Amino acid sequence: VRHAVVAGVAALPYAKDIGMTERRAGALAILAALADAGLTAADVDGFVRSVWERTTEMEMARVLGVDNLRYFGAVDYGGGAGAPMVAQAAMAVEHGVADVVVVWRARNRGSGGRPWAAQLLAEGQDQFERPHGLVRPVDGMAIFARHWMHRYGWSREDLGRVAVLQRAHAQGNPAALMRDRPMTMDDYLGARMIADPLCLFDCCLETDGALALVLTTADRAAGLGASHDPVHISGYAWGSGSETYAMTSFYGSDLGTTPAKAVADELWRRTGLTAGDIDVAQLYDGFTPQVLVQLHEYGFCDEGQGPAYLGSDGAVGVNTSGGGLSEAYVHGFNLLVEGVRQVRGDAPNPVPDVRHCLVTSGNVVPTGAVVFSREPQ
Amino acid sequence: VAMGPEPLADADTRPFWEAVAEQRLTVQRCGSCDRWIWQPRPLCPACHAPDPAWHDVTGEGHVVSWTVIHPPVLRAWAKDVPFAVLLVELVEGVRMVGRLDADDDFEQLAIGQPVTLRWRREGPTILPAWTTSGR
Repeated sequence: VRHAVVAGVAALPYAKDIGMTERRAGALAILAALADAGLTAADVDGFVRSVWERTTEMEMARVLGVDNLRYFGAVDYGGGAGAPMVAQAAMAVEHGVADVVVVWRARNRGSGGRPWAAQLLAEGQDQFERPHGLVRPVDGMAIFARHWMHRYGWSREDLGRVAVLQRAHAQGNPAALMRDRPMTMDDYLGARMIADPLCLFDCCLETDGALALVLTTADRAAGLGASHDPVHISGYAWGSGSETYAMTSFYGSDLGTTPAKAVADELWRRTGLTAGDIDVAQLYDGFTPQVLVQLHEYGFCDEGQGPAYLGSDGAVGVNTSGGGLSEAYVHGFNLLVEGVRQVRGDAPNPVPDVRHCLVTSGNVVPTGAVVFSREPQ
Repeated sequence: VAMGPEPLADADTRPFWEAVAEQRLTVQRCGSCDRWIWQPRPLCPACHAPDPAWHDVTGEGHVVSWTVIHPPVLRAWAKDVPFAVLLVELVEGVRMVGRLDADDDFEQLAIGQPVTLRWRREGPTILPAWTTSGR
């Protein structure tokens, strides 16, 4: 049986303007992740790409001089794609389709402009939403946020707990863009509204970033001489839920339940684990309310109890690098890299003795999650 | 003149936009299983009967949720901010997105509040919108 592991990870320094193309940044991140694994580009025989990545896997293979990809594929849905990309790479490795599969994301979202500002034709689902004003990702999220706040009795302070907690984590992370910008609840409550009830600090950062993960088999990784142990992939799951749209699943019978609920059910069923087995969690955080909803959808607390859970003594560490809100926002890829590092023990804010780290992707789009573990399950 | 995003209809959605241009709100309903369908689609998703028929509706419903949009926004809407976008549930049970009428006060919105249909013009496009002020 072939067990998939993450043998290496890397992130280029995050920036508002990274000063290079996504192609170049992606290639440099991949080379750094390969070096972290004790591998070279000559070892790569598979790529998994985000559909939103402008560099195709063929172009990346040419840039890095990688011959004959034995596996290539791509996953859609923006911030929903990260964990599913890792899962797809793991499947390719486990099935022996390829031996060394690279997953990467490079995005100049800090310097490259706002995609929504250029989209002036509304096709498909967009024709019934964008012309009315739901244009930015935050706009659809705000409709859900008010619904959840009403349903669960959440206040703005409850959303603010997420933002303040993650900002505190960023203070201990030299790579975090907000590392020298501490934030109080008063700072949060005083921020300008973007899409009421969501303010500036409910939103993730606009970042240039490039990250990569290298997957191979446990056997292959054992002989590479890397300075750290490989991280085992003990489980993964996809889920779409029903009547799902990207960001605006307003029309189905179960308004407010996200695809993450289906992912969680599948993940725990497949792994035999539960939220109680998780030592640290990286929960996708494009916007603060997503974290609170995932806390109950993945089973860390009862429905709607996310704010109380976060403040409780037994809470696991959540988004320990600062996450998308305060480290960097690269479609959640920094959460994947942070998850690997927490298991290895080389994260900037290390949680002691991590056996299992849950990493999730965006929960208001079709999505997935992965569990990184110190030992094979 | 800066324009907002323009709806790009196709054969499956054109009946909706043709009706809207005549200030009629129309929604598909499956002739076989009576299910109301939104957003538009070529088949009933429950029983797969083709071409669910379009039925004009009053547009009456209630507020399910909303957001108030603040800058930064598209250039076309700089004159509109802040403005509210509603998620409305029609009496038929389908939910639709549309603006709160510009003459309404978004500070007075509440979940569950009844709304009625208004028409809003955005450049050459007519769009459904809703008001809390009754008729």
